[in-house]
Amino acid sequence: MSRRSALSAQTLAVLAALAAEPSDWRHGYDLARETGLKSGTLYPILVRLADREIVEACWEDGEPAGRPRRHLYRLTSGGLAAAMAALAEAPAPAARTVPARRTAPGRGAAPRRLAGEGT
Amino acid sequence: MDQLTWMLTRMLRDAARLLPSARREWAEAVRAEADLVPAGWPRVGWLAGGLWLAAKEAEIMRKVVYWLGIGAVAAAAAWAVWLSWHTSPAADALTVTDRVRVLVGVTALALLPWVGRRHGWFGPVGNSITARLVRVAGCAAVCGLGAAIVRMDRYIHGGPHGPAPFSLSREIIAAVSVGVVLTALRVVRARWPQLEAGILWAFAAMAGAVLLGVVPAQGIAIVYVAGILAATSRRSPATSASLAAGAMTGLAAGLTAALAVYELNTPDDRYIDLILLVLLVTTFLSGTLAGAAASWLRPGTGDPTELREARIRQGLLAGTASGAVAGLVLTDFVAIAVFMMVLGPLLGAAGGALGGAVAADHPRKPRPARSWAAGLFVRSGS
Repeated sequence: MSRRSALSAQTLAVLAALAAEPSDWRHGYDLARETGLKSGTLYPILVRLADREIVEACWEDGEPAGRPRRHLYRLTSGGLAAAMAALAEAPAPAARTVPARRTAPGRGAAPRRLAGEGT
Repeated sequence: MDQLTWMLTRMLRDAARLLPSARREWAEAVRAEADLVPAGWPRVGWLAGGLWLAAKEAEIMRKVVYWLGIGAVAAAAAWAVWLSWHTSPAADALTVTDRVRVLVGVTALALLPWVGRRHGWFGPVGNSITARLVRVAGCAAVCGLGAAIVRMDRYIHGGPHGPAPFSLSREIIAAVSVGVVLTALRVVRARWPQLEAGILWAFAAMAGAVLLGVVPAQGIAIVYVAGILAATSRRSPATSASLAAGAMTGLAAGLTAALAVYELNTPDDRYIDLILLVLLVTTFLSGTLAGAAASWLRPGTGDPTELREARIRQGLLAGTASGAVAGLVLTDFVAIAVFMMVLGPLLGAAGGALGGAVAADHPRKPRPARSWAAGLFVRSGS
């Protein structure tokens, strides 16, 4: 993450959602509901965060009945520190967007890590 | 609604295939979660967001513009060749010369996409949207110019230099001049590697301006293409603001000059002096305006003398660009005014230096830089 750059409010919201329970894996729609972001905004942010190794991503393990496997996300250890620092530096309105957690199916499942994905 | 959802799902699946393997799973992730989203507009919006993601990651817009550009170049080249071969009079020395020039021009245009993507003086294109627009529009204008020249050759035999006889010595001088300039640039760069880039660019610009007066019409088009590629490449010393100022003022000046030619042109050439005066004054003024704007928009802090020089340099570049654009646009409409493609950059450079010097002492108040890179970072310098 660039030291000279400040994060957008949307990125901070995503980081706040992921940092609420950093050990849990979250899926995209779950994050979208919590942050209120559209998929066209949320996913590019997740892609860039994964590129910077702030977020790691993987596919859900196994073949769930009746639905496709989900792509899951959580903060890396370095990403958690960066997120905490960014949230601490953020202006009050952005810091207040830390959303309430909801239970979502698939979260916390033991995922299979993909090669080359946000490790 | 169901059909729309089904169609978007299919499109997202197909779009995912366009992505590099490292990016494909992101589009697949959006599709995999679409079933969780409430049916109806929310799901349509979700899938549309996935398509937007795929378009961004696959750089689809850039590829579309690139291939449209190649298509336009190919079409213009094919049309120029067809026109030259099927409508010129019987083969004589002049016709053969014209055809050789057409082939040289077409070959140069065919090499455009390759040259423009190589790392070096001419490519790849700069990161700003201005650089991309100027590059695409400039190359399109040069293609249009090539077609205009070939079309004019049908009526004025002997080409845009007038009905002069074919001169082998002129052709040789032009070819040698191009070779000498290119070699000189390489030698200077190798012999004095510590030389400031601005000086090298100034040398290249002056050499280009001299070449414009020596080379035949198709050569002018090639020099213009080289200039457009160099000015819009990542290594270009011209800022986006300078490019934008040069392009916009040049476009306005070129259109104004073309309008003046159409309005004042008479069969007995009564207003020829007035037309020439309008062309020269308009080009100079557009260069002055571009130079002033570029100089005023040039941000920076530090040594005031160096900053002033940098602003004047941007003014010079913007003025040159403005004059070149004005000459190109005018020649696109009035092919006989091809001499303005030579005079335009020179007049524009003079005007740009003047405007840049005037505005250098009155810079804009600095504002924090902004960036929308992927929506991730919104401001810098904090």
